[in-house]
Amino acid sequence: MGNTRKLVLIGLLVSLGLILHFVEAMLPVSMLVPGAKLGLANIVNLIALVIIGFKGGLLIFFLRVFLSSLFAGTFLSINFYLGLGGGLTAYLLMSAVYYFMKEKFSLIGVSVIGAVFHNLGQLLIAYLIISNPGIFYYLPYLTLVAIPTGIAVGLITYFTTGHLSVFTSGGNEDG
Amino acid sequence: MKNLWSYLTGYDKILISILLLLSILGIFLPFFNPFRARVAEGTERVIIIQKGDEEEIRIALESTYGTEPLYVEVEGPIGTSIIEAYNGSVRIKEAPPADLEKTCVKTGWVQDVGPMIICIPNQISVWIEAEETGLDGVSW
Repeated sequence: MGNTRKLVLIGLLVSLGLILHFVEAMLPVSMLVPGAKLGLANIVNLIALVIIGFKGGLLIFFLRVFLSSLFAGTFLSINFYLGLGGGLTAYLLMSAVYYFMKEKFSLIGVSVIGAVFHNLGQLLIAYLIISNPGIFYYLPYLTLVAIPTGIAVGLITYFTTGHLSVFTSGGNEDG
Repeated sequence: MKNLWSYLTGYDKILISILLLLSILGIFLPFFNPFRARVAEGTERVIIIQKGDEEEIRIALESTYGTEPLYVEVEGPIGTSIIEAYNGSVRIKEAPPADLEKTCVKTGWVQDVGPMIICIPNQISVWIEAEETGLDGVSW
């Protein structure tokens, strides 16, 4: 993939991730289970992992987390650390599963692992802050929501990357 | 549109089933907790409010029955949280404005041993605990 092409793609995916992050904040899913989220921004991380690779995806993840917290005014607040911890755990595990167990798990499996470990990572950070083990009481409720949302995110990524095959096949290298 | 199952590999199905089973077990196990049985006899239920990991406020659940709800204001790192206790249940009534998501307020009322209300931004946790009163059960 050419350098310019990659740069444009990273920029597009970061802005798509920011929009999805804000759309998600408007949907009242957390009324069902306090703290639960759809994880729409994970679509962008998975797409990046598939069409750019590990490094590009990690860059997109950090850019998205930093920019969205700057826009929302939560930079370096507790919400920021929770998102960073959860997202990083999820991304690292998704990459590991995607690269080392590619023939075993489909994108749906990878996405479900990401969704569940996002909750685990987030609760671990929350435990470091509040040092009360009772916080893990929430984990099964969060993972129960994470399974269907993870499947949905996986399906969306599967269909999207199918249409984006022009990027994975290299396209023309003029850029 | 193909069936959803056709997109899943065998390992996907195993993974999803195991996670579903673990989540459901994790939700229902606390309700079969052996120490719950002790709540009935020789114990008194107490609301515990913890700030960070040190300061604790304890309120006997008995004292919350009445005509007026009991309000406790707790000072945290980002502001004041207002905790309301009334007729044997407790909730966080108000979180400071700096807590944008207000997850602890959305958690709602807690009236038994087990669930816990946690306000991560303000580092406050509230739960109900059963405590020995020293009486080995009261006969009637």
